[in-house]
Amino acid sequence: MSCNKTDQEKNILEDAQSETSSRRTFLKGMSIGAAAASAALVTGCVPGADAAASGELKLRWQEFFKKNYRLMTQEEKDQTVARLERLAALKNNQELQIGSEPPIPGVLYGYAFNITRCEGFMECVTACVKENNLDRKTNTQYIRIFEMEPGKLDPSTGDGQYYHEVPVENKFYMGTQCFHCENAPCTKACPTRATWREPDGIVVVDYDWCIGCRYCQAACPYYGRRFNWGDSEVPKEEITQKQHYLGNRKRPMGKMEKCTFCIQRTRKGKLPACVEACPTGSRVFGNLLDPDSEIRYVLKHKKVFRMKEELGTEPKFWYFID
Amino acid sequence: MKNSRFLHLITMQLSGSILLLVCILMLPHPGVASETSFLDTIKEVDEPFDNRSVSQVQPVVQLTVLAKEKYQGGTFRVLARKQDIERYKCSSCHNAKEVLGKNAFELTHGNVVINHGQEGTALGCIDCHHPEDLDSLEDKKGRKIDFDHSYQLCGQCHFRQKRDWLGGAHGKRVSYWAGDRVVYNCTTCHDPHAPKFAKRFPATYSVPLN
Repeated sequence: MSCNKTDQEKNILEDAQSETSSRRTFLKGMSIGAAAASAALVTGCVPGADAAASGELKLRWQEFFKKNYRLMTQEEKDQTVARLERLAALKNNQELQIGSEPPIPGVLYGYAFNITRCEGFMECVTACVKENNLDRKTNTQYIRIFEMEPGKLDPSTGDGQYYHEVPVENKFYMGTQCFHCENAPCTKACPTRATWREPDGIVVVDYDWCIGCRYCQAACPYYGRRFNWGDSEVPKEEITQKQHYLGNRKRPMGKMEKCTFCIQRTRKGKLPACVEACPTGSRVFGNLLDPDSEIRYVLKHKKVFRMKEELGTEPKFWYFID
Repeated sequence: MKNSRFLHLITMQLSGSILLLVCILMLPHPGVASETSFLDTIKEVDEPFDNRSVSQVQPVVQLTVLAKEKYQGGTFRVLARKQDIERYKCSSCHNAKEVLGKNAFELTHGNVVINHGQEGTALGCIDCHHPEDLDSLEDKKGRKIDFDHSYQLCGQCHFRQKRDWLGGAHGKRVSYWAGDRVVYNCTTCHDPHAPKFAKRFPATYSVPLN
């Protein structure tokens, strides 16, 4: 039994470069290397020959048996993001910074969308795809922009697949995404409690506890949720490296995902990517619990409405007109 | 005897009807349910949030100036403009010095196309630029206005937009929702000579939902 750390790390790296892992290889490796893994767990030291495989195996083992994010202590959260960072480095040679920032006290996020100003350039959509590492293969998008006839306020009557020069005269544009309902129906539908409302109002998904049943997608009256039919594909050079456990980290196949108000950005005081990208200033974001915030100004001084308000879902996403 | 039985009946009926009334009152009423909203609790909060308490906010990298107006009773900053004007200061050309004819083409503003205002009331150069001191703008009351504070000039016609911009319903903040308020200038988004956004193709397209 050799406990040489540098040797071990070298082996791990070499192995990571040569071998790509999947669930199948993982399970296969488990049956063969179960003894080695348990030895590693007990002693924290791995037999030389199996060092690389077991190093990764150990991380995967610990990841597999971790708790639901909500039940973790901050220490456990830090440990899991450290494991995820290490696994990304081992498996895909990626240098990620995955965070587990808690909600900021005294903050409840709110969003407003100016339907007079939006001109349908869809810069928000591309910024969102880039920021949140959305699957490029199936063209997953959290935001949809609808080209609407005047007088209509239901996006289902609009054209969500336009591609021509915008803005078109006598049309207006209306964006939808997850509305982060206070009384969110999707969170009640989840059988594994893998989705919930955070104290700062963001509705999030624990991708490792999601079983992919899509009940939440059926429960959402706003079509706010997206499903991963396959493993998401993002070109390595386009990956946003600053990530959050509940945000833009890699979503495996068969998991639900959704807009998180760019949780990896907003919990650091930054604006969501869509707001920062909007060329017309149609998107307003801020703290609802701050009477001096922009969002509160909009709610107080503008004509606002919410979509399907009568359902009582209490979305924190308002539309307003100038 | 008969009297007491009657009294008993009355009290029974009375207590029964009270019970019924209480039950009706306690039933969730649809009209009442929609009126109690999380918005009520939000509106009760009148203590401003300490925006500087968010520790990870970095100072804005762009050049900014302190606005000459107030936002919700406090100060805020706007992005500066002068450094983005290619040939500022204007007085380096617009002065008493004589100009050679061969440099004339380069020195005129042939690239500037004015498309500001409706037909018939379209604006000309000196509607905004100061006719003598070219390093400044001038409003309709003849006050000199700094290029960095163009909102003072734009706001004399676009007063609704200015009101919204001050409040935060028009324009946008730079990078952060927290921290000190820094907002875009009018000219960060709008070309003052042709303020309307040009028509163009969207940045991407959408496929049907899964």
